Amino acid sequence: MRVPSKSGLSALLRVTKAPADKILGLTAKFNVDLHPNKINLTVGIYKDNNGRVTTFPSVASAQSMLDSSLDLNNDLSYLPITGSQDYQDNVLNFLYRESSNGHELLEDNRITFVQTLSGTGALAVASKLLATFVSKVVWIPNPSWANHANVFQWNGFNQIKYYTYYENGKLDIDKWLKELKDNYSSADPGWPSSIVLHACCHNPTGVDPTIEQWKQILPVIHDLGIIPIVDMAYQGMESGDLMKDAYLLRMCLEYEWPNGLFVCQSFAKNMGLYGERVGSLSVVVPPQPKELKNNIDSQLKKIVRGIYSSPPGYGSRVANLVLSNPALKQQWFTDVKGMSDRLWNIRVEMHKRLNWPSLIDFKTQHGMFYFTGLNPYQVQILQEQYGIYLTQDGRMSLSGVNSSNVDYLCESLHQVVE
Amino acid sequence: MSKTIFNNIEELPGDALFAIKQRLAEDSRTFKVDLGIGAYRDESGKPWVLPAVRKAESLIHADPSFNHEYLGIAGLPALTSGAAKVILGEDSPALAEKRVVSSQSLSGTGALHIAAKFINKFLPGRPVYVSDPTWANHVSIFESQGVKTVTYPYWDAATKTLNLDGFIKAIESSPRGSIFLLHACAHNPTGLDPSEAQWEEILDACVKNDIIPLFDSAYQGFASGSLAKDAFAVRLGVKLFAETAPIFICQSFAKNVGMYGERCGCIHLIVPKQDSSVNVTAITKALGSQISKITRSEVSNPPAYGAKIVAKVLNDAELTQQWHQDMITMSQRITKMRRTLSDKLVALKTPGNWDHIVNQCGMFSYTGLTKEMVQRLEKEHGVYMVASGRASIAGLNDQNVDHVANAINEVVRHYSNESSKL
Repeated sequence: MRVPSKSGLSALLRVTKAPADKILGLTAKFNVDLHPNKINLTVGIYKDNNGRVTTFPSVASAQSMLDSSLDLNNDLSYLPITGSQDYQDNVLNFLYRESSNGHELLEDNRITFVQTLSGTGALAVASKLLATFVSKVVWIPNPSWANHANVFQWNGFNQIKYYTYYENGKLDIDKWLKELKDNYSSADPGWPSSIVLHACCHNPTGVDPTIEQWKQILPVIHDLGIIPIVDMAYQGMESGDLMKDAYLLRMCLEYEWPNGLFVCQSFAKNMGLYGERVGSLSVVVPPQPKELKNNIDSQLKKIVRGIYSSPPGYGSRVANLVLSNPALKQQWFTDVKGMSDRLWNIRVEMHKRLNWPSLIDFKTQHGMFYFTGLNPYQVQILQEQYGIYLTQDGRMSLSGVNSSNVDYLCESLHQVVE
Repeated sequence: MSKTIFNNIEELPGDALFAIKQRLAEDSRTFKVDLGIGAYRDESGKPWVLPAVRKAESLIHADPSFNHEYLGIAGLPALTSGAAKVILGEDSPALAEKRVVSSQSLSGTGALHIAAKFINKFLPGRPVYVSDPTWANHVSIFESQGVKTVTYPYWDAATKTLNLDGFIKAIESSPRGSIFLLHACAHNPTGLDPSEAQWEEILDACVKNDIIPLFDSAYQGFASGSLAKDAFAVRLGVKLFAETAPIFICQSFAKNVGMYGERCGCIHLIVPKQDSSVNVTAITKALGSQISKITRSEVSNPPAYGAKIVAKVLNDAELTQQWHQDMITMSQRITKMRRTLSDKLVALKTPGNWDHIVNQCGMFSYTGLTKEMVQRLEKEHGVYMVASGRASIAGLNDQNVDHVANAINEVVRHYSNESSKL
């Protein structure tokens, strides 16, 4: 007989159940809901007018090229720690030559790059680097993507601060900037704060500052020495034009950022590569001292090696092909335009039925998400009585709306608001 | 001002394995041999996509429902449940008793990283014991999360065998509740595994000293060609610890399914049996939720493509059969190359004993070559291996094994002549 001992176990009993993820947990609930007309408007995945998740024609072509090409798909070997060189070259070219005028930064070797697991992976790696050496306080808009705070909390940041972004149905830039300024004096000058800026199609509100407003915001952030972390998850989904939507990146590049400009970019939505986890972190580093870029490169590698060794290959091969083959790239631009047009059309159709002007206020309302302003109780009623799932904050993913459910949806919304 | 705030970031040395890959790419010699990185190569030295994987890929692409939608945070259920059966056995009591929590990870590294974060949060202050030597990345995975590592004796350099006494003594003298990282099979980097009888001794000592085992299973089926044989230690551990302590298992499909760059693996936590008053389901649910929280904060959800391939291989009877055959193909070729290299060294009368090359298993051999010899191998002969003398046997084939044997013979003689002159 062995002597049983339970001391190892008793420690494990300290583990309590973490709350289910706010967004992905809802889909689990939706899947077992028996309501005949149920509609899932929670997750930010694009669906076509038949309610199906489709693969873009450009991506489908890239896949079949990969499948049939022994040269492109002859092994599943490890990628380098920071991703494949081809992918790096093509993404940097896309971001800093085509989407912006950062070509000089590339030529001066001032941009460090990591292929990441989509936007979340980029944020997590950036967070670890910043929290280790540079910054332990991060500003996040209130409200923001539910996972932002989680990412920074678990990856080294001591403090998450929320700046007022959207309140009482509108943006409040003045309040936002005042909060940043008021907090400046109490900040530790040796450890500057960071700030998360949604590049376009703000998640969850769908409401972005105008260009004029950004012209007010960026100088303040720059003056206060705050480090910008640009979260660019929806490039192309605001206007349908990938280049046009990179305006915040272009505006940020008009400044020198002494502590770096962090750009977290994702192909999840605009290429529909969601589950394949394809994105990038690029950091624009100050011009001096010269060795800085190499130092940061080496630390980023160490971080990645410790979390997952090297990034997944398949999705990046697909994205790389789309970015490097001129015909596929052209098709991709068309695909993004088509997606953006459909999302806009949904707004128009809903507005026809509901007469909610904010739905079609193109100056500030962008992308896949629409913030209904419904309170948690109304959201609950919508879910329990109508089988319509929104996130608890009232965010609605428009991609789940289509011609066969728009009437039912609008009718239900009408009932709940009444 | 914070103008100079980045200036103190120091540049780190490059990762040794990836650095070898780079030097190889830059080496202009026509004949070079890569015995560095741990990836299987076929007889012509090329990466080998398993026939089972090729079939799975075409089935997946032909399926009209194939898309790129997000997986759940814990990954693809068809993968995680299939993977648990692979490592624990179809008839595992732990599975029947629902004591297993499984979550998809970015291959073995991702699983170990989750374990490190989990240990740091819920078992703080407990050291993780790693073998001396161990995979270079083990220490940094744990230390970077604030988990202290301690080494336990493993490889006896003089005899090139297992230091069992030292191993057992380390278990006995470690604080109760310590975590021991155990290589499930095909120990990396030595290629030397305990025998089944030695595993019994090791795991008995672990139970007696209330150790929490953490198995790193990166080579199941790749080492011997048999999933069951290569899971011997894990399954024995699950049995012996059923009443006493939880077990972590970090499982990779990089080598045995050839998913290297697709980053496919799982972490499994096995909860021990509880008194009837304790709700096991509540415990496993809680554990799963905490692991999900970690995944969500770093990658949101794991990559889909590799997971779909492995799930297909594990859940389609015909593909599973093919996969078993593929593992035999790989392990037999490696066994044959071990024998060939050892025979050639013996025929060349290279000073020293070379039996260990045959006795070790898996992808690697700890050759016993010194750092200087490894440098000379690279410089003079274009044969690349890790400075510790670890050679990836998968890089050998009929076309290069003569060259490698001659090269090893030359460097060993070079340095033994030098030392005899002293």
